[in-house]
Amino acid sequence: MTIIPPYLQKGDTIGITCPAGFMAAEKAQTCIDTLHEWGYNVMVGKTLGSSSANYFSGTDEERVDEMQAMLDDDSINAILCGRGGYGLGRIIDQLDFDLFKKKPKWIIGFSDITILHEHIYSNYKIATLHAPMAAAFNDGGAENEFIQSLKNALEDKKAKYECPVHEFNRRGEGIGELIGGNLTLVAHLIGTSSEAKTKGRILFLEDTGELLYKIDRMMYQLKRSGKLQKLAGLIVGGFSDMTDTERPFGKAAYEIIQDIVKEYDYPVCYNFPVSHNKENYALKVGVGYKLKVGKNKVTLEE
Amino acid sequence: MNRKHFLSSVMAAGAAIPVLGAGLSDDTENTLIIPRYLKAGDLIGITSCAGYITLQDIQPAMQQMEAWGFKIRVGNTVGKRDFTFGGTDEERTADFQQMLDDDDIKAIMCARGGYGAVRIIDKLDFSKLPLHPKWIIGFSDITVIHSHLNRNYGVASVHSKMCNSFPDDWSKAEPAQIETILSIRQALAGEKMIYHTVPNEKNKMGVGEGVLVGGNLKTLESLAGSKSDIITNGKILFVEDTGEYMYSVDRMFWGLKRTGKLANLKGLVVGGFKIKPDDSLDEAFGRTLQEIVLEKIKEYNYPVCFDFPVGHQKNNFALKCGVRHQLEVKADEVSLKEIYREEKKIK
Repeated sequence: MTIIPPYLQKGDTIGITCPAGFMAAEKAQTCIDTLHEWGYNVMVGKTLGSSSANYFSGTDEERVDEMQAMLDDDSINAILCGRGGYGLGRIIDQLDFDLFKKKPKWIIGFSDITILHEHIYSNYKIATLHAPMAAAFNDGGAENEFIQSLKNALEDKKAKYECPVHEFNRRGEGIGELIGGNLTLVAHLIGTSSEAKTKGRILFLEDTGELLYKIDRMMYQLKRSGKLQKLAGLIVGGFSDMTDTERPFGKAAYEIIQDIVKEYDYPVCYNFPVSHNKENYALKVGVGYKLKVGKNKVTLEE
Repeated sequence: MNRKHFLSSVMAAGAAIPVLGAGLSDDTENTLIIPRYLKAGDLIGITSCAGYITLQDIQPAMQQMEAWGFKIRVGNTVGKRDFTFGGTDEERTADFQQMLDDDDIKAIMCARGGYGAVRIIDKLDFSKLPLHPKWIIGFSDITVIHSHLNRNYGVASVHSKMCNSFPDDWSKAEPAQIETILSIRQALAGEKMIYHTVPNEKNKMGVGEGVLVGGNLKTLESLAGSKSDIITNGKILFVEDTGEYMYSVDRMFWGLKRTGKLANLKGLVVGGFKIKPDDSLDEAFGRTLQEIVLEKIKEYNYPVCFDFPVGHQKNNFALKCGVRHQLEVKADEVSLKEIYREEKKIK
């Protein structure tokens, strides 16, 4: 059984750190204000709005130190990653999860943060939260159902998500622990100590800004490394801003995926609201869910 | 089939010169199967196992290889097109399989790279190849085939330019184009390959000996976890790439490290890396290729060289994958040379 970190109480503290790309402090202000409104204290790490002049929010050492401090600090009850980008892969092996294992806390984020989700679930069987990050609170986002789904997840309100059917859906019902995240990172982690075990589980995937042939190649990698054979279900989220080569690939992202999983018989749904766009429900990695892909609707229930 | 068994049948058939590698060093390779080198009159098949190419586009390659004394058989995927591919998966599989199975064909040159080899690799039956080995030639997406052959069959292959890189007009070609194309002929004819490159100040000195494996880094990464995944222990690894952002190159080298592919090398050869520029100045990655590589291997002692002439560039010489090489990196000279220690062949 997966270990579930304690849900949050009013007055608990959420730490915000940027373990990957740089984020300007003002871009996280609405998020901080909203977390206050929800009744939490917020502790902002120095990597948010740092003086870093390059791509990263700080040096590897600064990013490790801050994440480590937040993992180890008992007064921090959850860690929200300010943004993704690229950078966790550089520091994941330097993080020490010994204290975190004894006193787990929710770790929140997506995209590059997929590395933390997979690493923690694969190695420590502790649940994490694949959910919107700080910038998603801006421009009225804080009110939307996706940010609200993060609030609900932290408050231990069990999720039951619904989404419309897609013509490619394969109907059926599957029960299993949820695993997944950004396809590029799920593929990248194969063969490492952080890789996802998918057998008997519900896998969810999303990606953004990739060339279509690369989506195809990554799906082939998942297939050829045995990650797609024995799923309880597959949730295909948003594949936004796909690009193509000069010689067109000839298939859209969903067609690529449909083609690759056609030989299996587990339920598959497409266009589920997990993505780099606004539509991005909080999903608890490592927690058991029931996926029902029906004729008229799709439900994912904890 | 057990390796010793097919080895003895290979020797009986006299079709190849297998080398028992187990006694040579600590690499894990039991057998290296070197296909018979080509002689005048031998038949080379050309197939499009990845991206599409026209018959007209392969004319310079055909003419040149015919001028070298080889005969050419053009596969029926040349000129076929299924969007980006040189025919459907079925057509590309059938064409390649036919060339694998036809004993008259002594080498298969992939017409070009692009993308597509991984879509057919599991449909291809290579089981006869160890008994009737032949050279398979190509790079970039063809890294899938090099890695698959080395991992599963121990059959050597040629990493080199393909049909789309032969100059249209030999008389107007630059020296680098001519030399690299000629290196394909030399490799196929069985010349022992020796390359000298200009030292890079970031090189790590040393000497290492092992089977050469590698290819396109992104392609190698996409094979991780699959049965075509490259095993690098005790080997010399070469990598090259094109069109990737610097952060992506960094991530791929972490991938190599975190999948254990950098820990037990005998040497690392870094070829050309054409980097896609950062989207904006604030997104500057802030590290050079050399820094990216060196930080991953700082705890290891094997030699490392940069700027080796292999990659998506004019300077892309033929390398024999699956064949033992020695990499020697000195302050004033870098050499990669094929070695062949027959005296230690028997275990």
